[in-house]
Amino acid sequence: MADHVGDASKIVYMPGDFVENVKVSEKTSKAILGPGLKQDGDTVMVTKPGLLRHKEPNIYWIDCHSRRYVPVRGESVIGIVCAKAGDVFRVDIGGSEQASLSYLSFESATKRNRPDVKVGDIVYAKLLVANKDMEPELVCIDSTGRSSGMGVIGRNGGFLYKCSLNLIRKILSTNCPLLSRLGKQIPFETTVGMNGLIYVRARTTVQTITIINAIAASEYMDNDQIISMCKKLADTFTMVQ
Amino acid sequence: MKMSEQKSGSQNVLRLMVCEMAHLSRPDGSATTFQGDTCVMTSVYGPTEVRMAKEQIDRTTVEVVYKPKSGLPSCAEKSLENIICNTCENILLGNAHPRSAINITVQEVQDSGSFTACCINCCCLALLDAGIGMKCTMAAVNCCIDNEENIIVDPTRKEEEQSQAVLTFAFDSKDKNIITVITKGKYSQQQFQKCLVLCRDASDSVFKFYRETMEKKLSKT
Amino acid sequence: MRETPLSNCERDFIKTAIAEKKRIDGRQAYDYRHVRVSFGVERGCCMVNIGDTRVMAQVSCQVVEPKQARPADGTLYINVELSPMACPSFEPGRLSDFGVEINRLLERCLKESRCIDTESLCIVAGEKVWEIRVDVHVINHDGNLVDGCSIAAIAAIAHFRRPDITVSGDEITIHPASERDPVPLSVHHMPICVSFAFFEQGKYLLVDPTDKEEKVMDGRMIIGMNKHREICTLQITGQMLLLKDQVLRCSNIAVVKVTEITELIHKALENDREERAKGGKYGFAESVPKNKVTSNHKVSAPVDMETVEDHVTSTFSQNDDVIEIDSDAASTSESDDSVVIMDKGSGAIGLGGPSTWNVDDEMSELKEENKSNTTKTKQQKSDTNIVVSIDDSSEEETTEILVEPSIQKQKKKKGKV
Repeated sequence: MADHVGDASKIVYMPGDFVENVKVSEKTSKAILGPGLKQDGDTVMVTKPGLLRHKEPNIYWIDCHSRRYVPVRGESVIGIVCAKAGDVFRVDIGGSEQASLSYLSFESATKRNRPDVKVGDIVYAKLLVANKDMEPELVCIDSTGRSSGMGVIGRNGGFLYKCSLNLIRKILSTNCPLLSRLGKQIPFETTVGMNGLIYVRARTTVQTITIINAIAASEYMDNDQIISMCKKLADTFTMVQ
Repeated sequence: MKMSEQKSGSQNVLRLMVCEMAHLSRPDGSATTFQGDTCVMTSVYGPTEVRMAKEQIDRTTVEVVYKPKSGLPSCAEKSLENIICNTCENILLGNAHPRSAINITVQEVQDSGSFTACCINCCCLALLDAGIGMKCTMAAVNCCIDNEENIIVDPTRKEEEQSQAVLTFAFDSKDKNIITVITKGKYSQQQFQKCLVLCRDASDSVFKFYRETMEKKLSKT
Repeated sequence: MRETPLSNCERDFIKTAIAEKKRIDGRQAYDYRHVRVSFGVERGCCMVNIGDTRVMAQVSCQVVEPKQARPADGTLYINVELSPMACPSFEPGRLSDFGVEINRLLERCLKESRCIDTESLCIVAGEKVWEIRVDVHVINHDGNLVDGCSIAAIAAIAHFRRPDITVSGDEITIHPASERDPVPLSVHHMPICVSFAFFEQGKYLLVDPTDKEEKVMDGRMIIGMNKHREICTLQITGQMLLLKDQVLRCSNIAVVKVTEITELIHKALENDREERAKGGKYGFAESVPKNKVTSNHKVSAPVDMETVEDHVTSTFSQNDDVIEIDSDAASTSESDDSVVIMDKGSGAIGLGGPSTWNVDDEMSELKEENKSNTTKTKQQKSDTNIVVSIDDSSEEETTEILVEPSIQKQKKKKGKV
């Protein structure tokens, strides 16, 4: 397989390919392999199709397009509460198993003071436990006991949109202009879960639908196209109003 | 499209291959593959929850459902399901997601020869589309030996019916080792070797096709 | 498998949007999504797309003994399969209640309205008749399965040809296609189902509901009708009461929709017939768009026979039993293989780009025009005689005003398109 140095970002790796010339850290002489890569003896093997990404000095991963979420520890996700089971809520986060969310892991929740969560609510939460052999566990507080934005969302309108995982990573990346540009034209609030769910709420129904459609359309656009789309969107919106 | 009609005698070609990916909105991965007139549609869900009875504590359960176009599935269809399932299990990273299932549904759209090979290729493309961890990719090529002992690679249905033996090989992309062999009819050991080499050669272009397809799919990101 | 549940927030949003006369995909309440009908290589194979909903139907026939009660009538058998491909909650094997409902509805719509002439399927009265079997496979479920299934079933029946037969005395000959041209079934009329979803106790109604809208709706009414305005089936399900006016209004809408869809099927059949007569290209492969990034076409690759033969004989003489072939020497075809990528990077994902569907409805020209757009463009099929006004919400919708029959196609674009 071709060398990754140079214009590596456009080379598509297929499962079974090998990545050569993997740079290692000078201190520890180790390389960090992310999703889609696996050590196979002395070589690094690709297990998922996609583009190889590299972060200096020694982090490598494969940017793979998929739609099914596999829980990863520490990621923030949006889940739908499916059931109350004793002390925990069962939350669907799109993975192979439902995650559990204890009623005590909400801000200022105590045994007496139970949080107000109903079946069908959506929650923004962080994965505390996620590994292949265990049931994923969510929390709505950080280590200091604060909610820091997590908890039940979507009680005052707004819409939940499901999209592919690569689109989520794209709009959350720092160089993606989509959300900031859109926000200049139409004020809206949004919550993005790494599991492929986006919650959007704008002032009116029409605006919310507009934002959702703009996000959906941006999946196969580059940054220039996104900017021009946002411009056009702004023009039509000022025209209508 | 009509390549199948042009080929005759010693001139052997793999028919036109067309594929469309991610065209179904519900599944995690989907692909439709055409090889000449033969057409198969495949969807993949996974990793998803698994039924208690089929749960495996240390590995992913692969479930394959084959849907014939007309009529109800019978033994032959169940056997095809089994073949596809075993072939896919060979290339999937089984221990990456224990206690989960990968559900593959294969829908027959048109059988015009080399059908099993098309099913396997379509499954591989759907798995690639779903982004499921695999050790390598796989490609299947079908060939048949006609009554004049000529070998026809990627035969049409008519050619298959008039032949004395039909052989299908599935190879992995790493070392081009055989994953699956399905044969029907009478052939000598020498003929088998010859078919094997021919199909192995032909599989190169299928692998190349996979790569082109993925490159094209990822070209806009 | 479990299906992702619908959250309260989605439910409420859809309800408020409907109350404001808006839909998530930008359609008007009475609009259908884009309907596409295409036929396969084999006779009697039909694929129908309604937006993302996809249904495939295949018709087959066999000679059976007739029923005792009707010795001179052939039979029509309908089998609906909800494939696990379509939706994770569809289990393989046993048909769910929902499946049985669709199956029964189609039977009522097609069989009991006598859309095909069963008497002409008789070969020898009381002994041998044709059984026509329609297998309907749901490929992708995004709402409105009933309409999709009924369109696919009737279009497949109209496309199907059964082998010709001759009866001379006791001898019956079934002629293969090579001997005598197969004969079409005699289709009296084409009943098509149109679904209406009701919300807020029948206050709001939507045509062609999507999956999410179906999950929120109070109830649904399905009208099976043919283009002669004859109602073949009418079914109301769900927990709601309907006013007489609503039923009448629905049947008026159904008239328009059924006329349109019937025309579309006829056009698709006509296209297919022309292509077959010309010996040109037909079948689903022709309908895969070439300029999408998710599709790929590869020309046929030649396989070199001669070098391989040399090689095999050489290795074979060396070791008779061991299966071992040197892979270097075997790689002969690589250089001959040329892979062509069509329009790399130029096409749009999703819809848009020139239509390569051989079965064209009136959308094809519009699609052509959209080729240069890189944005994802959703297109809807709008009524031929109803002027569709532009919806504020649908920033990326193209709305076209079709004035029939002068084929004046005007397009109004909004937003970034």
